[in-house]
Amino acid sequence: MSYGLAVIYGVMRIINLAHAGLMMLAAYVTLTLNTRFGLDPFLSLVVVAPLFFGFGVVLDLTLIRRLPRGGTGPSMQSLLLLFGLWLVLQNLAYVVWGGDTQAILTPYTMSSVPLLGERYGVPLLLVFAVSLASLVGLTIVLRRTFLGKAIRAVTQNRDAALLSGVNAARISAVAFGLGTAFAAIAGTMLSALYAFTPDFGRSLLLKAFCIIVLGGMESFTGVAIGALVLALIENLTGAYTDIPTSFQDAISFSLLVLVLVVAPNGLPALFRGFSRRAVAR
Amino acid sequence: MLVLAAALLLAPLVAERGTLNDLWSVAFAIVLASAWNLLGGFAGQVSLGYSAFVGIGAYTTVLLANAGWNPWVTLPVGAVLAVLFSVVVGLPTFRLRGPYFSIATIGVGEAVRVIASGMEFTGGSSGLRMPSANFHFLSNYYGMAGLALLTVALVAWVRVSAFGMALEAIRQDIDAAEALGIHSTRYKLYAHALSAAMVGAGGGLFAMNFQYISPGSVFDFPLSLRIVLMPIVGGIGTLLGPVLGAVLFGYLQIKLLASPTLRDFNLFIYGGLLMLVMLFEPRGIVGLWERLRRLWQRRASKPAEASRAA
Repeated sequence: MSYGLAVIYGVMRIINLAHAGLMMLAAYVTLTLNTRFGLDPFLSLVVVAPLFFGFGVVLDLTLIRRLPRGGTGPSMQSLLLLFGLWLVLQNLAYVVWGGDTQAILTPYTMSSVPLLGERYGVPLLLVFAVSLASLVGLTIVLRRTFLGKAIRAVTQNRDAALLSGVNAARISAVAFGLGTAFAAIAGTMLSALYAFTPDFGRSLLLKAFCIIVLGGMESFTGVAIGALVLALIENLTGAYTDIPTSFQDAISFSLLVLVLVVAPNGLPALFRGFSRRAVAR
Repeated sequence: MLVLAAALLLAPLVAERGTLNDLWSVAFAIVLASAWNLLGGFAGQVSLGYSAFVGIGAYTTVLLANAGWNPWVTLPVGAVLAVLFSVVVGLPTFRLRGPYFSIATIGVGEAVRVIASGMEFTGGSSGLRMPSANFHFLSNYYGMAGLALLTVALVAWVRVSAFGMALEAIRQDIDAAEALGIHSTRYKLYAHALSAAMVGAGGGLFAMNFQYISPGSVFDFPLSLRIVLMPIVGGIGTLLGPVLGAVLFGYLQIKLLASPTLRDFNLFIYGGLLMLVMLFEPRGIVGLWERLRRLWQRRASKPAEASRAA
């Protein structure tokens, strides 16, 4: 049931493997949620995704560009920069839309469909479908197209990519844009499912992070697996124990801690070799 | 620095209650910012979950005071608990590097807040009160001022000690530091513990002064954010930086709260400041000052060089 959500989280986190736009994703999630003017949320994806892609590219060109690059993985400076941006965007959201909880209702919000012996909410199914499609689409782009390979190249070794003729600057901008677009997708879909406030992004960011750590920072399928595991655990603890759902954040975090202690490189790494990207021995 | 200390200590003789209140807040901010700087600035591990320590200190004080303890005695207890928690948190999270560590610490703060809101004996989300027999503003003031001075003194000492240099090495290149024999996790834990102790004590004093605490007031994320913003904007990793940042933010807070129009923009200002600092002068106000000073020095020595060359 929560697999749909799980996949969304996975989608959100995937592009992060290519660049440092961490906090911003949460901000976009929040903003996207607030942006829907009478257009059905799922249909609005067509507009929202490209829009945010563009925004992401612009952001990369203007802001991220200024930061000293190099080193492995996202730097502290870029994180803080994006963090600042998140705050600004949050404030913007507060000012424009107010801090009250909002929700989006459509004719089909309450309806459900019987499937495999259980009833599933229509919005949930749609979200699942979109997430899955995005995930698959992204994987195809990254594996099969030149752009995808270029992105992976820049992520792995920027200098080598430059030597191979890849316009690293442009590719980075594109990757960043993709990341924001996906965050926007995630946000829009979540807006169809839940009520939200401008502060919404935070717990999502956390969950997304858990998924990354669970799935290992290297592979996309790992992220998907991580997402599934998190969703499973959240649901199971909710159904079979007395822990109230308001504790969900705490549960996610405990899971994160557990994973960090037991398998710091993510579950896939338990079965495979080693990766030093984000873990200090 | 000494001027500041003197000012803090002598203020109650000349200032009125309102100003003293503000100064108390600034002192609190100094404690938080300087303590955080130990882990965040010296060791380079940016933790966004420090409100957890404030809360632990605060709740310890309130709970024990309500059980009959003298509040001042509860302060070290709160500090110790904060230290224990810092170790519990640090052990798994210090395995993460840089930004990943920071995100994990957000989780810590949030998890603690959620748990505190949910538990009965901590009063749930409606918070707890202190037994009101104990309120004495002047001693609260001196307590906080004293803690601020203590914290800054401690940070100054660490800065010139071998411990501080180890932290600096960890910040610059953790792998190289390890190669030199510095047990990075252990040092990180020490720094974390030391700063947690200070912050925890500060939290206890906070409870004593405000007489009422709730998960929203001591555990919330915006507090963690401000704790981080102060040293960053002021000058991360320096001695003066966090103090400057604390003073600046204290002043900003007062101005913002007073003006109805500006109030809604506080996130905007914090975020904007953060962005500006990251983009143009990552070392904050102190860094900016250093840059200007070097520029000026170069200009002053240019005529001398020119005459030598000629």
